[in-house]
Amino acid sequence: MHSSTTQTDSPPASTTQTEVVIETRNLTKVYRDFWGRQKVRALKALDLEIRRGEIFGLLGPNGSGKTTTIKLLLGLLFPTSGQALVFGREATDVTKNERIGYLPEESYLYRFLNAEETLDFYGRLFNMPSAIRRQRAADLIEMVGLTKTKRRQLKEYSKGMTRRIALAQALINDPELVVLDEPTTGLDPIGTREMKDLILRLRDEGKTILMCSHLLADVQDVCDRIGILYQGELKELGRVDSLLKVRDVTEIRTTTLSEAAKEEIQQVVRRHGGEVQFMGNPTTTLEELFLHIIRESEAHPGRRVRGGADSNGH
Amino acid sequence: MVIESDIPQFAEWVGLAARNWLIALGCLAAIGVLFGFLVATLRHGPGSALRITVGVLRNALADIGGISPRRVLALARLAVKEAIRRRVVVAFAVFILVLLFAGWFLDPGSSDPARLYLGFVLTTTSYLVLLLVLFLSALSLPADITSRTLHTVVTKPVRSSEIVLGRMLGFTAMGTGLLVVMGLTSYVFVVRGLSHTHTLGDDDLAAVSQTAAEVGGKVTQTGQTSRVHSHRHKVTIEPSGYHEVDSANGHSHELQIDTSRGAPVYHLGPPQGALLARVPVYGKLRFRDREGADTEKGINVGDEWFYRSYIQGGSPASAIWTFTGITPERFPDGLPVEMSIGVFRTFKGNIEKGVFGSLSLRNPKTGLTVETEVFESREFETKEVYLPRQIKSFSSAQVIPRRLVTPSGEQTIPSPDQINPALAEKKQFDLYEDLVAEGEVEVWLRCLEPAQYFGAGQPDLYLRARDASFALNFAKGYLGIWLQMVLIVGFGVMFSTFLSGPVAMVATLGALVGGMFSGFLTDLAWGKVLGGGPIEALIRLVTQQNQITEMDPGLRTEAAQMLDRVLQYFLWAISAILPPFGEFNYADYVAYGFDISGDLMLVRLFSAAAYLLPVFLAGYFFLKTREVAR
Ligand SMILES: Nc1ncnc2c1ncn2[C@@H]1O[C@H](COP(=O)(O)OP(=O)(O)O)[C@@H](O)[C@H]1O
Ligand SMILES: [Mg+2]
Repeated sequence: MHSSTTQTDSPPASTTQTEVVIETRNLTKVYRDFWGRQKVRALKALDLEIRRGEIFGLLGPNGSGKTTTIKLLLGLLFPTSGQALVFGREATDVTKNERIGYLPEESYLYRFLNAEETLDFYGRLFNMPSAIRRQRAADLIEMVGLTKTKRRQLKEYSKGMTRRIALAQALINDPELVVLDEPTTGLDPIGTREMKDLILRLRDEGKTILMCSHLLADVQDVCDRIGILYQGELKELGRVDSLLKVRDVTEIRTTTLSEAAKEEIQQVVRRHGGEVQFMGNPTTTLEELFLHIIRESEAHPGRRVRGGADSNGH
Repeated sequence: MVIESDIPQFAEWVGLAARNWLIALGCLAAIGVLFGFLVATLRHGPGSALRITVGVLRNALADIGGISPRRVLALARLAVKEAIRRRVVVAFAVFILVLLFAGWFLDPGSSDPARLYLGFVLTTTSYLVLLLVLFLSALSLPADITSRTLHTVVTKPVRSSEIVLGRMLGFTAMGTGLLVVMGLTSYVFVVRGLSHTHTLGDDDLAAVSQTAAEVGGKVTQTGQTSRVHSHRHKVTIEPSGYHEVDSANGHSHELQIDTSRGAPVYHLGPPQGALLARVPVYGKLRFRDREGADTEKGINVGDEWFYRSYIQGGSPASAIWTFTGITPERFPDGLPVEMSIGVFRTFKGNIEKGVFGSLSLRNPKTGLTVETEVFESREFETKEVYLPRQIKSFSSAQVIPRRLVTPSGEQTIPSPDQINPALAEKKQFDLYEDLVAEGEVEVWLRCLEPAQYFGAGQPDLYLRARDASFALNFAKGYLGIWLQMVLIVGFGVMFSTFLSGPVAMVATLGALVGGMFSGFLTDLAWGKVLGGGPIEALIRLVTQQNQITEMDPGLRTEAAQMLDRVLQYFLWAISAILPPFGEFNYADYVAYGFDISGDLMLVRLFSAAAYLLPVFLAGYFFLKTREVAR
């Protein structure tokens, strides 16, 4: 289990040997109204494979179908067509939940309970014996830094505090798979940093993490692989590092050079049939990639990644 | 009290009820599976529909078999906490307030204050508690769905069955607690409300008559107590010291005479007999017609669906109750009979005066019949008659054989050669030696005035065994409310698994009201209500036709009656499915002072359970097959 950290460092070839934790085949969700009329095609034929030990990020603007995907994987929604499998079982099978921790988009917790009662309640739902429950609850409250306020009702909590207790709730069963829907919303910069560190720590403990976010920075910092969703379609899928590698551009980074040296380099490039487009500080390219994808999809609707295989750039 | 339906015997009831229940459950299950299959077909096509249906059913076995008590209890506790958060205590505060106000308005001086007080507390408690659990149970799950707190719950290894069961148990526990507290408060309220005593002084008493035999210089004295709660009691004190306080407003008081300081000091105790639980022993009723032959039913005097049958006065016609299990151990001194008889007059005569009737005891083996009691009866007046063990005074004694007229011929019991008229030639009869045969005795009711009629149904005449504990009976009355509450919780939670909160509440209320009138629905379904089925009745209403005249024959009538037939089956199905909420209401038993028999409790307990199981299953399936995140 703990060897996975090293595996994710190496290229895709080795990931095929580890266990598939989440698998979707042609997963489609159409929201209909009461009369069965089609309202929104929220997810279109998603094919995805997430393996043990990786941090997978679903990236996409608001309304692109990230939450819908997560709800389908958790059995909160039923697919219109296609299949969602978690640990090889149908997403609607409740027994799979024994090994899952879920942090919802917003903290849907009982506001009349306090932090201790909340964790105790969810612990009971996992059929945990009381001694273990108490120990686990105390550890988690400590971990998310709510020890001082653990006896206060959740309705008195600030948004950030609620988010923390929700996170603790998601980890009460020491899950193998952690599903985080927009984990950093509502957190201040320090909280965001802590959350990211925690995600990495969980991965180091051998857990698989599926998170979704519309914040590029979150995803870029922690995810091993990402999928980019736009209007319900999977537009990009791959390792973060290879996705950001722009194949038809070679970037040279050096210590500060004199004007003469720059001129010389440009001459060398020209001699080899190249052209210097830019010489300076590189940009945050995920944002660029993201915007590029959105521009592309608007120009050529329908083009997308299929089959769950890693694609390398474009 | 007028009990209009037979009290079922549990042992007789349970077999048939279980069979009907299984049939109904089977039908409902089949309809449910078919419906589920159709919905799945519409959504996913017939091929996968079959797979889905089988999958859901297989899952159901696992989900219901694998219910974890810890999870259910956690969810039940959550429901209780939620209820407390929703300020359930307010309901109790309202209750206390109502009682305080009622203390002013309920008149303890009315002719039957116990009935007034008991009826009041039972009704108030049941309305409050039922309304409260209706709100709680119907609103809880929809609130969890709209606030999405349910998302965090169902993504744990929680079965839908546990969510439904946990809710039902939680709200039941909540309601139970509330009922216990309200019950205790009510008990205190009733006892205190009825509690009073009277005073009796020397001036209140007077010698009955100067000529009465004096015993040691003393005479029999009589008088009246002081007026409290708008009544007085008549007191008689005999020279021997033996005294009697007459009953008034359904109770009496114990009198203590203290003569230690010369002049007697009279002291009256708290009311006695106001709160009681009579234990009626019912017999089996048959009739004898004017010719003296046995019949199942008497005469019908109009309303043919009324359960009472009538016997004609001044003829051999009789209503006959056969009692079994009559032993000297149970009734050592004789048979205390209580009856409330319907009187139907073909001419009014003196309305103030009752109609004369008589009671006889008959030995079912030998046919010896002793007419022991002649009485005067008014419509539905409860009469108490004591038939003593040693019968010294009687108006007639004869041997009357029972005549059974069947299509194959006539038969008498005892047979003509075994009739022994000598049995009747005694001066005095002993109940157990002469009239009871193998624990069986018959009580014959006759009407003595020609052209008047007595009407009686099986529960109208009964023997009164030793009273049961009132406090226990009071608790049983609350158990009736409890059963109603559990049913409402069940229906409320079930409806809330697929309806929004307010709609679920209305649906539950609909089931409640429909269930209250399920008897009427059944009658309507089988056309027992005058004016035909619902459509026919509507036509009559619109065209202002009389309820009894035949409708004009024609296409319209045919169509209406055909439609009625379809509607009738529909109504019947509904009335058969909805629980008869009214039958779970024991308030009348408690208020009128009748013990709620163990049989009755068992029957109701089992029928409530019989309703709850399918309601729970339906709730489970609805929740299981719905998308929680929609
Ligand atoms: N319950 C619902 N009913 C109808 N449409 C919905 C529902 N939930 C989400 N949608 C629609 O589906 C699309 C995807 O939503 P969602 O998965 O929540 O997006 P994201 O999480 O990526 O922001 C959006 O267009 C949204 O409006
Ligand atoms: Mg979302």
